[in-house]
Amino acid sequence: MNVVTATLKEELATPLEVEELSPDVIASLTRAEILNLPAHLGNRERRLGDFFEVEGEKSTCLELHGDLSRVKCIGHSMTQGSIAIHGNAGMHLGALMTGGTITVHGDAGDWLGAEMSGGLIRVHGDAGGQVGAAYRGSTTGMRGGEILIDGGAGIEVGMRMLRGLISIKGTVGDFAGLQMKGGTLFLFGRAGIRTGAWMSRGTIVAFEPLNLLPTFNYACTYEPTFLRLYVKHLQKLDVPVPERGWGGLYQSFTGDTSELGKGEILVCQPAAAEGSSSAS
Amino acid sequence: MGEIKDRADLVVVWGANPAECHPRHFARYSVLAKGKYTPDGRKGRTVVLVDIRPTPSAKVADIFLQIRPGKDFEALTALRALVKGHRVDQARLEETGLKLEQLQDLVDRMKRARYGAMFYGMGLTMTRGKHMNAMAILALGVDLNEYTRFVAMPLRGHGNVTGADAVMGWQTGYPFGIDFSRGYPRYNPGEFSTIDLLTRGEVDAALVLGADPGATMPQPAIDHLGRVPTIVLDNKITHTSDLARIHITTATTGISASGTVYRMDEVPLRVRPALTSPYPSDEEVMRQILEAVAARAPNGNGAAEDDDLKSPAGDEQRSLEEVVAR
Repeated sequence: MNVVTATLKEELATPLEVEELSPDVIASLTRAEILNLPAHLGNRERRLGDFFEVEGEKSTCLELHGDLSRVKCIGHSMTQGSIAIHGNAGMHLGALMTGGTITVHGDAGDWLGAEMSGGLIRVHGDAGGQVGAAYRGSTTGMRGGEILIDGGAGIEVGMRMLRGLISIKGTVGDFAGLQMKGGTLFLFGRAGIRTGAWMSRGTIVAFEPLNLLPTFNYACTYEPTFLRLYVKHLQKLDVPVPERGWGGLYQSFTGDTSELGKGEILVCQPAAAEGSSSAS
Repeated sequence: MGEIKDRADLVVVWGANPAECHPRHFARYSVLAKGKYTPDGRKGRTVVLVDIRPTPSAKVADIFLQIRPGKDFEALTALRALVKGHRVDQARLEETGLKLEQLQDLVDRMKRARYGAMFYGMGLTMTRGKHMNAMAILALGVDLNEYTRFVAMPLRGHGNVTGADAVMGWQTGYPFGIDFSRGYPRYNPGEFSTIDLLTRGEVDAALVLGADPGATMPQPAIDHLGRVPTIVLDNKITHTSDLARIHITTATTGISASGTVYRMDEVPLRVRPALTSPYPSDEEVMRQILEAVAARAPNGNGAAEDDDLKSPAGDEQRSLEEVVAR
């Protein structure tokens, strides 16, 4: 398969913004044209070739190598193709994407998949804050697509998300699911405080006890059959789901009553202590 | 503030201690002052203080609510639900250190108020949750305006920080955390705010104007300020000027230089100098730096040529030293 490979020449001291580093852009470009793509280092417009060694041309498959933790906006607004990053990725990876696949064999920065509406992002390491979130001043975050994180993530994950799926295996920071309007957020690890704050709709599924806000009210403990569809789907995507996730009991809390109050938080009960309270 | 003096009959102070930190605030505006529609002054107002410990401001308050540290967002969110008449979980609410009856009583008072004012301080903005805590009290203010007139305002410190926010606001549309590197303003706190940029080590130079981040920012940010060429404009020796490569002493605005300062409610006040100073004003130094930078940017957009990028730091220092000499 024809692949474009870009390798970072040397570690960056200041952030580099490369919105053009996307399968949509390179799909029709020769190697020379790819090297000539704009890259913004501070207030200076430079060329991609100043920072990357590039092999291959005219492909929707992009492979990146090196520590790209200071390279921002990779795959910005991408609609197709694939990006595989062998190293860390900087902020805004896959922001506003509508299609395609991004795989990170390392860590990703803040605003991963911010306001995306389609496609799949898989991070094998940790992610920063504001995963799938709405930008400041924007009313709506992720509108579709899937973000799967094998490690942990920072604060405000899924902020104002409307649709789509986020799954985080490790720990997450405070305000996960902040102001959620819809969509589904799976938290397999521990979460910080104020999970689901100000959510109006949407679903948060937690596999560890949560410290909930007083504006969430206990509804019932039940076995939500619809979750089996999600569990099946996540397993198909190689996300390991605990055994109790399938057919286990979940405590359901509704809130946030400071807003519309139609969001739900489902806390999976430990198999040995079914019926006991998981929310403090 | 004039409106609060004239109209407020309920004053809520959250996570602040104006009796010690803003000593004229209670007397001139929010508690003792007699206004057009508050002729009784103190007697015509109810004052509520919410804080983690009884401070001297508690003596001024009619009601003191002692909240557990770090539970402000929880309590404010519960208040928002109660304002809307929605249910809250009593057991979890009591983890805040406050009882449902206390919050319900506060909500009733807020709704009954003719004009309510909420002031908040660093007890809210500098504790876990920071911007979300501030957002919570502002959202509560918005919710209360469904029932009565309510305002929420931060009790600012550090001289003219409100002025910086106000000027940035009308110049760019954003109050802080602004990036100009692409030739237009972009706003993203966390990405472009100073502490975060310094902590991540993403800047290679710093210009500090009338502030002392060396005394207030986290250590990793301070360490980075010490590593990069830092230029400080200040009228005195500060922690930041100690670690800066260049400290330009400037005249003190309002004492030996004229200028405009902003009151914490964003009212601009023109100040005139009472004394003369051998030092230039901040404005004069900034203007000269701007001219020197513009002279080195022939493409006119503030971006230096590639050769400039490769020039040693000494060149930049020399040009700044020229500015100082002038």
